[in-house]
Amino acid sequence: MPSATVNKPRPSELLSRLTSAEPEVKVRALREVKNQIIGNRTKKLSFLKLGAVPAVAGILADSIDDVAENNNCNNTNNFLVQSAAALGSFACGFDAGVQAVLDAGAFPNLLRLLANPNEKVVDAVARALRMIYQSKLAPKYDFLQQKNMEFLISLLNSEKETVSGLGASIITRSCETNLEQKALFDAGILRRLNSLLEGGSLSQRDASLESLATVFRNNPEVISKFAGPEIGRPLSSIIDLAKDRYPRTRLLACMCLIVIRNASPHFLQDIGIKTKLIHILLELLDDPGQVGDEAPFAFSSLIAQKEDLQKLALEANAIDKFHHHIKKGSLHPRRYEGILLALADMCSKLESCRFKFLSLQVLNLVADALTDYNAGVRAAACICLKSVTRSIKNLSAGYFMNETIVIPLVQLFLDPSTSVQVAALGATSNIVVDFTTRKSIFVQCGGMKQLVQLAKSMESSVRSNALWALKNFVFQADNRLKEGVFSELTASLLSSLIRDPEPSVQEQALALVRNLVDGCINLIEFVFAEDGLILGAIGRQLQCASKAEIGIQGMYALCNVASGNEFHREAVMQLLFTQMGDKNQSFVVKFLQSNDSQLRTATVWTIVNLTCPSSPGAPCRLEKLRNAGIVSQIKNMVNDPCVDVKLRVRTVLGQSMAFGDN
Amino acid sequence: MPVRVTESSTPSQVSGTNSGDTSPPACTLLSVGQFYLQTFSGTQNVSSLQKEEAWRVNVRIQGCDLEHGYLCGTMEALNVPMADTPVVTFWEGEIVDTKNYTFYTGKWEASPEDDKRHWTKFPSFSPLLSQVEVDGGKSLDLSNYPYIFMRWKEQYFVNVGTDCGLTIAGFYYVCFSCSDGSISGFYYDPNSSPFQKLELKSTNEGRSGYSFSSYELQ
Repeated sequence: MPSATVNKPRPSELLSRLTSAEPEVKVRALREVKNQIIGNRTKKLSFLKLGAVPAVAGILADSIDDVAENNNCNNTNNFLVQSAAALGSFACGFDAGVQAVLDAGAFPNLLRLLANPNEKVVDAVARALRMIYQSKLAPKYDFLQQKNMEFLISLLNSEKETVSGLGASIITRSCETNLEQKALFDAGILRRLNSLLEGGSLSQRDASLESLATVFRNNPEVISKFAGPEIGRPLSSIIDLAKDRYPRTRLLACMCLIVIRNASPHFLQDIGIKTKLIHILLELLDDPGQVGDEAPFAFSSLIAQKEDLQKLALEANAIDKFHHHIKKGSLHPRRYEGILLALADMCSKLESCRFKFLSLQVLNLVADALTDYNAGVRAAACICLKSVTRSIKNLSAGYFMNETIVIPLVQLFLDPSTSVQVAALGATSNIVVDFTTRKSIFVQCGGMKQLVQLAKSMESSVRSNALWALKNFVFQADNRLKEGVFSELTASLLSSLIRDPEPSVQEQALALVRNLVDGCINLIEFVFAEDGLILGAIGRQLQCASKAEIGIQGMYALCNVASGNEFHREAVMQLLFTQMGDKNQSFVVKFLQSNDSQLRTATVWTIVNLTCPSSPGAPCRLEKLRNAGIVSQIKNMVNDPCVDVKLRVRTVLGQSMAFGDN
Repeated sequence: MPVRVTESSTPSQVSGTNSGDTSPPACTLLSVGQFYLQTFSGTQNVSSLQKEEAWRVNVRIQGCDLEHGYLCGTMEALNVPMADTPVVTFWEGEIVDTKNYTFYTGKWEASPEDDKRHWTKFPSFSPLLSQVEVDGGKSLDLSNYPYIFMRWKEQYFVNVGTDCGLTIAGFYYVCFSCSDGSISGFYYDPNSSPFQKLELKSTNEGRSGYSFSSYELQ
């Protein structure tokens, strides 16, 4: 049967009612605003645009003044409850709302109202503040100040669930440093959080688990105190909660245990607990809501960088499970991203995991994710590819160099998001290593030219990753491909990249030169193009190398040049002696004295090539090296702690003896 | 490198575990940190009672993961009589680092006796023999030893089918000299001629010095 529609008042109309002189009208308007915006982002936004938050915050402030003037009555409390509830609704899960509440100056008023004698007021205010403290925009609460710490303790000790929950939320959002973590421990807060774990309500337990994880993060000292006999058996309560009937509690307990294990690996060593955590997190993937979305991230933090856990997860069929979820399709972007990152962590170290991944043909699904509309998903797909393509066995078989993967990957080089670009370049760096004859596929897809363009990017991370990919691309490539890369890059661009302000770019540019001039002897001519622009840049960069890695790549580039003919060796010699630093000393001596054994090795190899007995100019070069103190430095290195250096030093000394040196 | 099938098999015995001590040194001629990969060329003696024969061989190291004692690459046999083109195989290697792998193979039909019989063919192995007999070499400190011992096992044919009449069932005992980059090896397959010797030297591709390229996985 048709019935009459009850028209809800429009936002603008409600807003004018908020300024009504009639208390009844005003309270009803507040209630109506709150009801309209609950769980409705669109409504929140339209009220926000109309300036509803300052109006509500104004009512709250006026009511506080009324309390101060002892105009206490039911109306005032009603205003306080309704305005606080409305502000809380604006802030709930909506950062723009939180910002508006903070901008309207309501935050300090809400805090002050926690001391109000009326229970309903305190409850509404605590709820509103919790909403605010669920956002990253919430102001940091400085509990290093004694009075603030006392206030925090009073919140946690409150009988009211909302108030103690607020205390826990404040900790979760505000505790950042080791000093703050320790201060909370010293103030006895962990004992209180633990009692909330054991005897609190569902929401208190969850809030407490989150706070504990915050206080434990990267702080083994606090963890060992917490897990010690002083507090009882707190770890067992958390372990028990990992088996709780509520999925969110299980997730939070797992996250707390993972934080403990990651900070203090000697805790939770028991294989049973590790396996249990893996199984719980995999089961939580089946939760259709936020818990299921967050579960893969928790899983990643559990297994990242830990081969033993990756092995256990493989045995628990984690890859099959993730595969199953991606295959189902229509995933929430957060969950999609999390699963791809979890797969990336699974395949980051173990070949057995990569084998499983490839045999289940997860690769095709990851290739699809490269074109997803969500930037987080695209970046995660690239990171996943990056992990899987660490399989040298499959790189050797040319398994990854195919158009299904390479075309979408190259398209991501122009992605508007820098993190996607960098992730795509990371995966590309591995794929282009390819040992088969399929590198030309990458050129045909336009990948090589794009990489050269990206080497000119304004973002240094993009420049260095593009150069990294080019370095791997020209590794053991044929002459034609190397010439193609060089003509696209040009000597002037390459020399300016060697002199880039960013050290990571300098390092990759030098490594690229090193690979370009390896192989056929004619390729050495690259460094002599445009009047030796590149060689000059290498010399200048080596003179002022800011880190060992730059020296290593630069010296190997010179070593490769010096493996050519007499002209090449003489050019290297000239470079070593024209680029003199402080005390008129060649950088060669500095590198030979370096603490980095790889830098010493690269430098000695260059000297091996320069003094090669079969070359006619070797005695003359040896004489110059001797005069510059380089030979005597090498003699001092006969017992170098690094075997590789020691063996090359012996080669140099053997060669020098062939020319009559003792 | 693939070989022809000849003799009958001998029984195998399993031994060897993973744990131990100090790994062999990093060596530029083989690899270090990042992958400075080298190429090697030489011969494999495949002589039988009937015929003296050696196949030319090129080896290219493609990857190395010292943490897991892993090495891999390709092996190209150039003048294989029954093949029209050079035959390329992909192999994976175990580095005897006393942590991931010991001198005892423990698989591939190689008994500890087979292991010792092959390792002792390398003169550089003799100082290690007595300790290897005690515990497979688990307690040896190889960090300053200028030789690296490995096993290379071919996994698949890269450019020919499995019906090419060749087998890659066996594996190589390998000794690498860090000083000059030379490689010696002995092929072991109970079904093939015993002690087929592999001899390789580091190649410089027409240069009069050493040149090193590298790739780095992300």
